[in-house]
Amino acid sequence: MDTELSEISTFIHNIPPFDSLPKQVLAHLVRELTINYIRKDDSLPPKGISEPRLYIIRKGALSCRSNDGELINRLGESDLCDAFYHSNGIEALSENSEQCKVYTDEDSLIYSVDVSILNDIGERFPSISDYFSQNSAQRLKSKMNKVNEEAILSSTLMNTSVSNFYHSPVASISVELSIQEAAMQMNEQGYSCLVIVDGDSPVGIVTDKDIRRRCVATGLATSESISQIMTTDMSTIDIKSNAYDALMTMTAKHIHHLPVTKHGNLVGMVTVTDLINNEGHNAINLSSIIHKADTLEELKEISQLLPKLQIRLAKLGSSADHVGKSVSAITMAFTKRLIEMAEYKYGQAPVPYAWLAAGSQARQEQLAHSDQDNAIIICDSMKPYDDAWFENLANFVCDGLAECGFIYCPGDIMATNPKWRQPQKVWHNYFTNWVETPSPKALLNSSVFFDLETIYGDASLLNEVRKQLLSKTQNNTLFIAHLSKNALNLRPPLGFFRDFVLKQNGKHKATLDLKHNGIAPVVDLARIYALSEGISAVNTIERIQQAAGTPSLTKASAENLIDAYEFLGMLRVEHQAKELISGESPNNYLSPKEISKLEREHLKDAFKVIKSLQDARQSNY
Amino acid sequence: MPSSTLTNSPLLSWLVGYESKRKQLLKKAPEGALRDFLSVPLPDLKTPIDKVNILAVDFETTGLDAKQDKLLSVGFVALKQQQISLNSSYHQIIKTKEQLQESNVIIHHITDSQKEQGKALATVVETLLQALAGKVMLVHFARIEKQFLTQACLELYGMAPVFPMIDTLALAKRRLDKRDVAYDPSELRLTNLRQNFKLPDHHAHNALNDAIATAELFMAQMSKANKDGKVILKDVLL
Repeated sequence: MDTELSEISTFIHNIPPFDSLPKQVLAHLVRELTINYIRKDDSLPPKGISEPRLYIIRKGALSCRSNDGELINRLGESDLCDAFYHSNGIEALSENSEQCKVYTDEDSLIYSVDVSILNDIGERFPSISDYFSQNSAQRLKSKMNKVNEEAILSSTLMNTSVSNFYHSPVASISVELSIQEAAMQMNEQGYSCLVIVDGDSPVGIVTDKDIRRRCVATGLATSESISQIMTTDMSTIDIKSNAYDALMTMTAKHIHHLPVTKHGNLVGMVTVTDLINNEGHNAINLSSIIHKADTLEELKEISQLLPKLQIRLAKLGSSADHVGKSVSAITMAFTKRLIEMAEYKYGQAPVPYAWLAAGSQARQEQLAHSDQDNAIIICDSMKPYDDAWFENLANFVCDGLAECGFIYCPGDIMATNPKWRQPQKVWHNYFTNWVETPSPKALLNSSVFFDLETIYGDASLLNEVRKQLLSKTQNNTLFIAHLSKNALNLRPPLGFFRDFVLKQNGKHKATLDLKHNGIAPVVDLARIYALSEGISAVNTIERIQQAAGTPSLTKASAENLIDAYEFLGMLRVEHQAKELISGESPNNYLSPKEISKLEREHLKDAFKVIKSLQDARQSNY
Repeated sequence: MPSSTLTNSPLLSWLVGYESKRKQLLKKAPEGALRDFLSVPLPDLKTPIDKVNILAVDFETTGLDAKQDKLLSVGFVALKQQQISLNSSYHQIIKTKEQLQESNVIIHHITDSQKEQGKALATVVETLLQALAGKVMLVHFARIEKQFLTQACLELYGMAPVFPMIDTLALAKRRLDKRDVAYDPSELRLTNLRQNFKLPDHHAHNALNDAIATAELFMAQMSKANKDGKVILKDVLL
């Protein structure tokens, strides 16, 4: 009878990963459950149970504590307790079964199932075995892989014709030429792929990979005909197809270049990069309109589009990295245009200078409605009276940005502040002081200046300052220690308890501050890695990628950290899109009720990854 | 307590006597399910309650009178060492000739067509007796299960067995009576008692759900009453 144990089945079915199980398997699992009632202030596992089991809280609350009593997690209704998954907490066999003790905080009704049953089910349903055998980092990785796939699929590629973004003319050479001639042409034209033509009709395709694999590696003479190494069963796509088909063809055949044909004749080429960057064209279009604006009024009007662009990008499933880069590019376009207007109004600059963006704009991680952080670095040849010109510039640009919706920096980190409008030698001194006599307070205020990028002007001014700075920070362990100490003040929460965010001290709060408790800790870690390893990149993901494999960060940890960062960024972009759509000004406060149970689990995994790298950093100093 | 009072109380004499009564009945029992059931010894009265093997049982019936009304369905689940194992759970609708009244259909959600697919009373009672052998029966409001099982056995085997019972309603009532404060009898309903223990809502009037709900309630009651682990079977037996 179908109502048999249906209540318990429904309850279990709502808990990931069991939501993926077919009805019959779920029914089998439910029949294998046992039910215990454990009174408050008792502990798990229930008396007399020694085999590994998974516990599922039906009612009540548990807390998991480390052997020295530190709270690791609190669990409420529908939460899974895998503390006894591998053993009874006596020895931890994997990161999953952290050594911990589990206590009941309330009278609790608890379901449990023998792990051998789950293993049996897991053999046929890998989603189950993956969920329990993977650690936080692995689970997060599979989630992000899925997200990236979805982002590509859900984009507007379906609605866009190949004709919108193929490039033409395509680089082609005659089938009569040699391998060497083909390679030379690739070099000259900067292409990694050539179409081989016999007259007008395409007969094959050659990539630089083919030259490597089929010629150099096999010892084939480069004087041989290109036809020797070309791929002849070449896929092509008709110009009338949609971009999605193009992407699918390329994905299916593992190729990155696809010749585009019209009535069978070669007319161009489309690449994977073309397709993926397609979405960014909105940002590029907007930038070019900004560039053409003549008055502040026009710029103001264009700036109204910025929140809309962010919503659009978020809806398309763009990664937070993509959104951040797009929005930052547009802020940069506004700034540049305003500087050009100021130069027109006040005349040419008396000496070379560079307009700098600091903080999130410099890192290319800005979102709509951010505040402005900027500064000016001026050539040392400036005379004291020259500052009047730069003051005019700063006022014009900062006021203009404010008009366009970029609010004044509450910490007064702006070029209008004389302190942050100085010749190069003063900047050298600033950094020398911060690095050589670091005080936690000064570091906190000035850490924004470790993320600087030239927006306009002479980039060498900043590059020289940065070069000297990095050579100092790289070997200054005291400075790095101070910086780390500051950065580690922001800790991610432990997880969630019922509909609340569970903090380190066991207290709850209603919302999660995505910025301060998730994203900022990663940004801070990335900055520390960059400064310790002399990495000049400013973007967080680039910093982590470049730090991967250095003494600061293993390659595996780097990948995990990027997954965590992208997941948090994605939640932030989605959250802000919702607020922007409803006309509210976007914030970083996410309520656990807003997200699914599975997303909560992924968030918890992200917190774990961040926390473990923070802990590693802490133990270094 | 003098031993004369013990034997004078009919209830207590029944309690003390259920194991000897079982042996007595075993001699007379016909070959088959009832005999098999009676041949398994019942737990000692002094057994700590945590160690007693229990079967939580619930019947859905067409009415309250065991002589006139019919058993519609049987659900049960085993409770061993204060732990429910759902793989011991059983639910079966019984095929009877009688047409169902609309009011019954509403309460139990068992329709005539479902009943048609049910099993014969003899088969279901046999399965129940097999599972119940050597165990104590746990119910909420004992009268229904006691009378209907007795009646069914009389019809099927010509004699009524002996089966010790624990009644979660009676246990709750004892507690409330002790308080010496007037209470609303509705407080003793399974759903309301579960709410008091903050147990989750359950879908009432399905025999298996009710049996599980009763077993959970009993575990909760024991977690309060048996903190020191001194409660023995005799203390909770009906």
